[in-house]
Amino acid sequence: MVLPTLIKSVKYLVSKPYTRIVPRKSQPFKTESIRGAHVLDMLKCVGCSMCQQVCPAACIDMVVVEGEYPQNPKKRFPRIDHSKCTFCGLCVEYCPVGALTMTTATGYELFTTSKDSTFKEPLKLKEALGKVTVTKDLFTSAYAQGVITKESSSRG
Amino acid sequence: MGDREYQVLYFGPQHPGAPGNIAFKLWLDGDRVVKAEVIPGFLHRGFEKMMENRTWEMNVTMSYRFCVEDPDHLEIAYALAVEDIYRAEIPENAKWLRMIQAEMGRVASHLFWSHFIGGSVGLRTPAYWAVAAREEILKWFARISGHRIYHNLSVPGGIRYALPENFKEETLRVVNFVEEKARDVEDALLRNSIFKARLRGLGKLSGEEALSLGVTGPVLRASGVKYDLRVNAPYLNYDKVRFEVPVGSAGDAYERSVVRFKEIQQSLSIIRQSVEELRPGEPLRVKLGLSAPAGEGVARVESARGEYMIHIISQGGRRPYRVRLKSMSMPLLTTVVDYLISKEEVTIADFPVILASLDPCPPDLDR
Repeated sequence: MVLPTLIKSVKYLVSKPYTRIVPRKSQPFKTESIRGAHVLDMLKCVGCSMCQQVCPAACIDMVVVEGEYPQNPKKRFPRIDHSKCTFCGLCVEYCPVGALTMTTATGYELFTTSKDSTFKEPLKLKEALGKVTVTKDLFTSAYAQGVITKESSSRG
Repeated sequence: MGDREYQVLYFGPQHPGAPGNIAFKLWLDGDRVVKAEVIPGFLHRGFEKMMENRTWEMNVTMSYRFCVEDPDHLEIAYALAVEDIYRAEIPENAKWLRMIQAEMGRVASHLFWSHFIGGSVGLRTPAYWAVAAREEILKWFARISGHRIYHNLSVPGGIRYALPENFKEETLRVVNFVEEKARDVEDALLRNSIFKARLRGLGKLSGEEALSLGVTGPVLRASGVKYDLRVNAPYLNYDKVRFEVPVGSAGDAYERSVVRFKEIQQSLSIIRQSVEELRPGEPLRVKLGLSAPAGEGVARVESARGEYMIHIISQGGRRPYRVRLKSMSMPLLTTVVDYLISKEEVTIADFPVILASLDPCPPDLDR
């Protein structure tokens, strides 16, 4: 008999639909720690290119921006290609000065029809597209004190 | 194929009955499948080679990208293997959280599987409830890890993110929600006479056959072999929780479904026990150096599809020398499908059902 399926179906027939209509009626699901578009604090960035080196998708390159940045003598800042970025957050985690943060802007909010504009120049990265969610503190607070390895010698 | 003429049919990679981005070349005699040849390569990206060119911390984002349904076990296995090289001991808190992550991933994977098996026999209605329950797990992952599918949560050294404040309440709420939905789907599917008629006796594998074909995971357990790495070779803190390993006897497609639904309940029970052991506020991660010592690291985990093994060779320095991944779907899509077709009468209508009951993950075979 298919009766058990029908009985359960009646229960779901009278319950509310689970789906949400995005983006016409509701926003994409966002949390307080979601990883989205980056924000660059150009007054903190020292141009060390750590973000470029740690990026697994190789979507960050360093470009020169003219202006007064005393902490950044070579005036080199990250430029992020959002069409390549996987939003893993490694650049935020490994930034030594905490200049990069991430916001709630994800998904279709970053879609674009122009290929040129997938490059987010440093000056464009200055403005936050959404609420700032992921900062370096989130990663550092997970750490214990000091380095723990059972034996320092290699196994060979 | 002899002198007889067979009709040749290409099945996949865009066929809704195909388990993913993989194709089969089928030789048909009437509507009976007499031979199937798997055509891989649609998703080949060369992960093992790519991982050799990236540093230890970057490879976390590479390690899980070849199985959408169950990325957590792959990520945890990579982290365990690198910790094996470093000989690092991670905090207890991180171990418990990894177990919660792994079991949530297993539940999400099995719920998604019930969507495929439901769809393959035409019972789509209960399948959608399962997807709703999975959605709740994905939201939970988005809260604690920042992303829905690829979480990047377990890294070498522990857990990357700090826990949110109401972690325990939120997790228990999701577990209760999923438990209710999973029971509904289980009742609606397993007690349905059409489902029983289609799946009973289909794709039968005895224990010895399954072992000789190299099968692991729920498919092996449905054949009556009690083999689960969480019990036989415990990793993380699986030896400190109480759970049962569901074992079937018949070894057919129906028995595999029963085993998977039972596993969902056991996984939820493991999550409940692990949440109690978590100590909020205690560290979740230890610092590992940027350069690893020379040596080898091996990790084996019981993923939702079977045993997954990763073997990393380090010659010191910032990058692995060699990464070897042992896929859990390889036997399911190659030897098992061949064997079942040669042994029993499989019609073209039953072929997607057999594939769905094996629950393979084609990208994991391709990589």
